Amino acid sequence: MSDSSSPTLAATQSQRPPFYRDAVVVKWLTQVATLLLVLAALFFLTTRAGQELAAKNISTGYEFLGVNPGLDLSEGIDTDPATGGRALWVGMVNTIRLAIAGIMAATALGVIVGVGRLSGNWIVSKLSSLYIELVRNVPLLVQIFLIFAVIAALPRAVEDQGPIHGWIHLSNKGLSVPRVFPGDGFYQWLVFLGIGAVVGRYVARRRRRSQELTGRDAYPVLWLLAVVAAFGMAGWWLHPVFGWLGPVFAVVADAVGAVPPGAVQAAISLGALAAAGWWIKRFVDSHRTPAGLAKLTDDDYFRMIFAGVGAGLVIVTVFVVWPGLASWVVNSGRDLFEVVSDKFGNGRSGPPIDGHRPDIQKLGNFPNYGPAGLNFTQGMAAVYFGVVLYTAAFIAEIVRGGILAVPRGQTEAAQAVGLRRVTMLRRVILPQAFRIIMPPLGNQYLNLTKNTSLAIAVGYSDLVQVGQTLFSQTGKSIEIFSIWMLFYLACSLSISAIVNFFNVRLRLVER
Amino acid sequence: MADPHFGLERHDPEGFSLTAAVDSAPPDEPSLPVGEWLRKNLFSSPFNTVLTLVFTVVALAGLRGLLNFAFSEERNWDAVRVNLRLLFTQAYPEDQYIRVWVSVGIVVALSGLSLGLWARLSGVPVARVAMWSMTAGGLIALGVVLREPSAVSGPDGDPMRDAAGEVIRQSFGAAMGDRIWWWLAAAVLFGVGAGLWRGFEDERRRHTYVPTIPLVFGSLGVVVATLWLYRWGHYAFTGNEFVYEPDRTAALSTKLPWTVMWLLLMASWAAGRQGRGTPAEGRLKVLVNLAWLLSPFILFWVVLRDPAIDWAHVWSTDLPMAAGFVIGGGAVLYGLTRPGIGEVGRVIAVGLLAFAGFNWVAAFAGWYPMLQKARFGFLLLALAALLAPNFTGERAQRLRLVWGWAGAMTVVQYLVTMANTESTLNTPTSEFLGGFSVTLFVAVFTLIFSFPLGVLLALGRTSKLPIFRVLSTAYIEAMRGIPLITVLFFFANMLNLFLPQNMELGSVAAVTVGFSLFAAAYLAENVRGGLQAVGRSQYEASDAVGLTTVQRTMFIVLPQGLRVSIPPLVGQVISTFKETSLLAVIGIFDFLFLANRAIPSQSEFLGVKREGLLFVSIVYWIFAFSMSKYSQRLERRLGVGER
Repeated sequence: MSDSSSPTLAATQSQRPPFYRDAVVVKWLTQVATLLLVLAALFFLTTRAGQELAAKNISTGYEFLGVNPGLDLSEGIDTDPATGGRALWVGMVNTIRLAIAGIMAATALGVIVGVGRLSGNWIVSKLSSLYIELVRNVPLLVQIFLIFAVIAALPRAVEDQGPIHGWIHLSNKGLSVPRVFPGDGFYQWLVFLGIGAVVGRYVARRRRRSQELTGRDAYPVLWLLAVVAAFGMAGWWLHPVFGWLGPVFAVVADAVGAVPPGAVQAAISLGALAAAGWWIKRFVDSHRTPAGLAKLTDDDYFRMIFAGVGAGLVIVTVFVVWPGLASWVVNSGRDLFEVVSDKFGNGRSGPPIDGHRPDIQKLGNFPNYGPAGLNFTQGMAAVYFGVVLYTAAFIAEIVRGGILAVPRGQTEAAQAVGLRRVTMLRRVILPQAFRIIMPPLGNQYLNLTKNTSLAIAVGYSDLVQVGQTLFSQTGKSIEIFSIWMLFYLACSLSISAIVNFFNVRLRLVER
Repeated sequence: MADPHFGLERHDPEGFSLTAAVDSAPPDEPSLPVGEWLRKNLFSSPFNTVLTLVFTVVALAGLRGLLNFAFSEERNWDAVRVNLRLLFTQAYPEDQYIRVWVSVGIVVALSGLSLGLWARLSGVPVARVAMWSMTAGGLIALGVVLREPSAVSGPDGDPMRDAAGEVIRQSFGAAMGDRIWWWLAAAVLFGVGAGLWRGFEDERRRHTYVPTIPLVFGSLGVVVATLWLYRWGHYAFTGNEFVYEPDRTAALSTKLPWTVMWLLLMASWAAGRQGRGTPAEGRLKVLVNLAWLLSPFILFWVVLRDPAIDWAHVWSTDLPMAAGFVIGGGAVLYGLTRPGIGEVGRVIAVGLLAFAGFNWVAAFAGWYPMLQKARFGFLLLALAALLAPNFTGERAQRLRLVWGWAGAMTVVQYLVTMANTESTLNTPTSEFLGGFSVTLFVAVFTLIFSFPLGVLLALGRTSKLPIFRVLSTAYIEAMRGIPLITVLFFFANMLNLFLPQNMELGSVAAVTVGFSLFAAAYLAENVRGGLQAVGRSQYEASDAVGLTTVQRTMFIVLPQGLRVSIPPLVGQVISTFKETSLLAVIGIFDFLFLANRAIPSQSEFLGVKREGLLFVSIVYWIFAFSMSKYSQRLERRLGVGER
């Protein structure tokens, strides 16, 4: 401001600062400049990489997914069409398998150890602490190598051996345990269970209503379980009844396959537009006050513009960048229903759930595990047990923290109203602890999933290992990295979605 | 406390006050008689009794298995002993090894100084020392009994075997007799503990403190003394030759440096104590902090790398350029901080920034040549010029900025010159670091580089400016969503594809970049937690006194936010340290790689893997565990969540 004259209030208000000191201008200028800088840097880096790759005679593109890479994947589902894409798919299935099995085992072990650390029994709590402190402070990779080395030093697999012969076998070939798998009638049986669940829910709701009316225990959950179990048992023998679903799904598959790609493109575009419009409308509505529309900040405008631009990007992608997307969607939909139809196909009937005990076969000179049992090969056992033991230590700490975080007054109040210990745990402590435990637990599940990528260190064919092998054969670095990134981001998003779902359901409803 | 003058507080020669330790000690319950303690903690109900019995058996079986594994005749611990030097510094040339010791010495001296300057004197209650001592003695005795009898060794020193190939073992009595020294050690430890326990009554036992520093220095001294007295044996790998000399003390090249380190630690600690409370204390602390910050660069690029200085180039190019930047840049800054320079100063600063940026554009387009370090110099000058308006004022204040610039520029120019000079070390591998040193290198530089980036990302994510927020959020979430190993693969294999022509990064440097970018995303989330803990009123107050956004962030928000996020940041340091083990997967000769691949492929130790891996896990464990204990202490001391 000028210092010689003393301007009037009105004059001061009408006076705008010079543009280079105007907060709005400076704010947006710096932001746009930063954005341009980032884009320029990305552009420069990619052009450089393009030149470099061209100089090395490496083409870019994803056509290697359809070519036989000459890989020999020893583990996982069959590599029937021998293509790069199928190999990566096998790797993904292996990763997902490890992750799901690992999450279940790590949760069970972690809860036990975490509760054990809180136990009043001195030796149990000390052993739990010892376990946590030992495992948490040694890098996971070191542990995986250690387990791998220990398994390698075990005695050879011989015919009649194993901690429990015929059930559990342990040798330098890894671990083999009985395998339980869905049998031929499994999917028909699932239909039975589904019907049971619907009926059971109806019954349970009736029971609950009567409980609320009369005040007498009507055991709604027990009834639900009983109905589902009854349907399951009936379905165990009756499941061939649903064999006709196979042809029905085949018809659906044909119908889906007949959808013109243009319709899919149009549907996706309209969907994107509708979603953006709905979001913007909801956003504006949320800013409505009785006195009219509230003032929108830069940020709010930015969000709305972003939603619109996002919808535009989707449309451009569908029509221009990747026109093949529509037919890909159609084909995958058709394939999905064909697979389902095949699973339901007529003549498929047998016990819905089947099992085999491990067997030992002589392949070549040395005995090895046959395909009957569930085999943890050396590498897989190392990754699996490494990841499970490591994550369990962190889960244990989370569980302990969650239980300790429930205020003492809650316990005292529960005791004061005369709840039994079990009821108190089930109805008072655990529900509150669970709310605290859930978000960090989800984080640990994410970590576990990401940590399975260490499988590459012991040669188990997970996604990263397969990708690395493909990279060394084809030199497609950026493409493979993009596949890794998409896959793991998808995993993260789905785990976050599941955890969020529970979070919302568990959220404290405040008055 | 009944009597304020008992215990060491009274005998303390330097008059240390121990009240602080007393305050921070957790309140403990009076110790119960043994029988009652057992009943309360182990046998309170039938279920508890069963648990106790089952888990006692499990614990004993586990301990027995571990001991039998560790002390088995089949274990080849020589594989670790011979390769100790390999594991820590890989192929660092023998004749230059003094450089490693100098580096260790600098770190030790700095630690001692910091301990002396900062550490609050604390103590360990006599009760706990007695318990530790008794537990150690008891565990040794238990181990002596549990471990299976050793094998009878045949004439050639190998264990004798019976017809079935099983190892023949001593009788139980003979084995116990052979372990007389272990019995003695157990008895001494237990006796000392029990003596301490009995010598104090309950109250005094818990409130008499053994000062920590003498305890730690004393124990370290005992360890160092055993190097001179006990026949650990001399096991080494010199040149291409394995040296086994079991019946002697450690080599002079091992015990002498460690003795010097021990003395250095105590001397520097004493020096730090002397500096405490003097008027120079504040300046001394700044100096020590600065030394900590600079030491990684100087140790790795100057001391360990031993650059061969090309004096002709130094006189013709490096020195004039450094002088130009110091004097010219200083003059520019002095001019820019003139009071009343107003907008002209900012315009000049922005102009300088544009020039610095243009230098890079020109470099990519190849318009005119310029040394990379000159480009960096101009960039630094432009950034300092942008900050200059904060320092306008008196002559003394302006001069302080100029002096700071001169010092920083001197250090930067010196380090860059050193890093650009060829190393004289002739190592068989391309990297002069290997083993634990490369692990440390990557961990330390990852921390240094990821911290500023992480703070920036956290500020971006909490910013009100939408583009900054979207960019930072996208970066953070993408990095946190993918496994570290894929990032490392990307940087190890593909970073050089993206770099400008004739700019190459070695594999360790490339991977360090990857580590830093990855760690920054996690660090940003920790810092964000801290930033969100800064109350709204702080923002409003700083707006009320008219601070600019930069000033508010620098002086109000960051100091408070970072303080809250210190404990999670230490946790982040621990995970980064543990994650450095992934270097082994991408084929860098780090600590783990040497134990897992290199040692088992030596002809003397073919396939000896578990011993090395166990050693590696113990070293990692010691570092990670002590850091996590430190972070717990820090958390208690900062009182996070208690205010």
